[in-house]
Amino acid sequence: MADAGSSAPPVVEFHDVTVAYSGRPVLWNVDLTITEPCLFGIIGPNGAGKSTLLKSGLGLVPLVHGTARFWGRPLADVRRRVGYVPQRETVDWDFPVSVMDVVLMGTYGRLGWFRRPGSRERSLARECLDRVGLIDVADRQIGRLSGGQQQRVFLARALAQEADIYFLDEPMAGVDARSQEQIFGVLAGLRSEGRLVVVVHHDLRTAATWFDRVALIDMRLVATGPTAEVLTPDNLRRTYAGQVDLLQEIGQAVAARSRTT
Amino acid sequence: MSPTACLAAAPALTHNTLVVAAGVAAVGCAAGVVGSLSLLRKRPLIGDAAAHTTLVGVAAAFLLTGRRDLPTLLTGALVAAVAGLAALVLVRRFTRTRDDAATAIVIGVGFGLGIALLSGITARGLPGSAGLEQFLLGHTAALTVRDAVLLAVVSAVAVAVVLLGLKEATLVAFDADFAAATGWPVGLIDQVLVTLVAVMVVVGLPAAGAVLVTALVVIPPVAARQWTDRVPTLLVLGGTFGLVAAIVGVAVSAVVPRMPTGPLVVLAAATICIVSLLIAPRRGWLARRHQQVTLEPPPGMRRLR
Repeated sequence: MADAGSSAPPVVEFHDVTVAYSGRPVLWNVDLTITEPCLFGIIGPNGAGKSTLLKSGLGLVPLVHGTARFWGRPLADVRRRVGYVPQRETVDWDFPVSVMDVVLMGTYGRLGWFRRPGSRERSLARECLDRVGLIDVADRQIGRLSGGQQQRVFLARALAQEADIYFLDEPMAGVDARSQEQIFGVLAGLRSEGRLVVVVHHDLRTAATWFDRVALIDMRLVATGPTAEVLTPDNLRRTYAGQVDLLQEIGQAVAARSRTT
Repeated sequence: MSPTACLAAAPALTHNTLVVAAGVAAVGCAAGVVGSLSLLRKRPLIGDAAAHTTLVGVAAAFLLTGRRDLPTLLTGALVAAVAGLAALVLVRRFTRTRDDAATAIVIGVGFGLGIALLSGITARGLPGSAGLEQFLLGHTAALTVRDAVLLAVVSAVAVAVVLLGLKEATLVAFDADFAAATGWPVGLIDQVLVTLVAVMVVVGLPAAGAVLVTALVVIPPVAARQWTDRVPTLLVLGGTFGLVAAIVGVAVSAVVPRMPTGPLVVLAAATICIVSLLIAPRRGWLARRHQQVTLEPPPGMRRLR
């Protein structure tokens, strides 16, 4: 039994993943292994392919090359155990559903075709809403919530999936500080229950304090490991190099223009 | 003309008229229900592409079989509608044409071809071809009781399919990515919805005609959306508005001679829609105009005066 831990397949393994949108590659040969449950941040500049990496794992974008495996198995075998929080802007918040309706959607995967949510699903959804602090607005139409509340509705829906791995795509984008703390509190709770939480995140300052481990991505994997070891000035320079160049270019262009006029 | 002769000339409220009206009302109701889902999926123009290709099928069915009974012609229309939607998918997949442009191409080509075929048939006065042009603008006076029963049965099946798959359809319409990530076959669910829209467009042909039948699928749901923030209520209201519009259209065209049904049905639906857009609570124009801008102060802060 001594080697059971080391021989167990990693929770998540991206192997040699390459993704392209209409011929233009956005991710190149990414190898990323997450061996055990933790709070894991995927960090990088805009357009670095962070969300694409999540989506490639969930089968939402086709892989040109490579594989994504969960506990050593393909996604199709373990779909019920993988929860997902998409970016908030991907849906129409004017849609005629209540907060409760959206959270119940998290139970649909387990319910299967044609079965409607019953009292078990409703009480689970209420628990999840309570966990994110939204039980008081359960019957409200989703458009009449703040951005932070909408994000927490999505989190509650993922909780209702009762998954073991959670993929969250920019859950802090456009979210007030209080909702951010509340969301991270829930995520830390999931980790302490032994679940893996993978978060696409863009804010370096909060990343350093919240995540156990991170991966720096800029179309390819720059570095991965424990947060303190990875978020070094050198690694950050390499990850954000493209943007530094861009800034310099803009600066030069502005300088050139002010000289001519 | 004596008063009695006048009365006899006016279309009486026979058993036949009533059955036909009921059949068309069922179509209006089902079109409103199916259309509500298609509105939620944000694909209202899919029905338009299907509708404008139906005439090709009506003409082709007549030319191939020499028959002009409703089941034959509508079967042809359905085949053509599905072919039109397949063409739409092909244009989108193999060219870099945008959605709206591809839809416009299918509508234009399908409708042009259909009109050319129908004109050719009627110009040659082929035996039994009289009345085919009624599929352009809709005319329910010629429907038989058997036709009406067919329309009602197909409508009932369409509504039953919607009610059966409402959970799945709502999930895909709200968040297709989440649906796909949790293992639902989004493409298949979309195909069922598109097929339902095509079927409703086809059975709506006698009531509204190829040009206007889309309005039956689009306008009542838009009106219904003004009144509710819940999907089940949306379906009930969409169906009710469609039913009322269909009955008004059939009733008026039965009384006014030579009046096609389609424009009347659409005008009735449009009236409901305009009133809804104006006076609905909260979402209506009047309500939003008179809405007080109230700023809730953050907790712990005094309300500004």
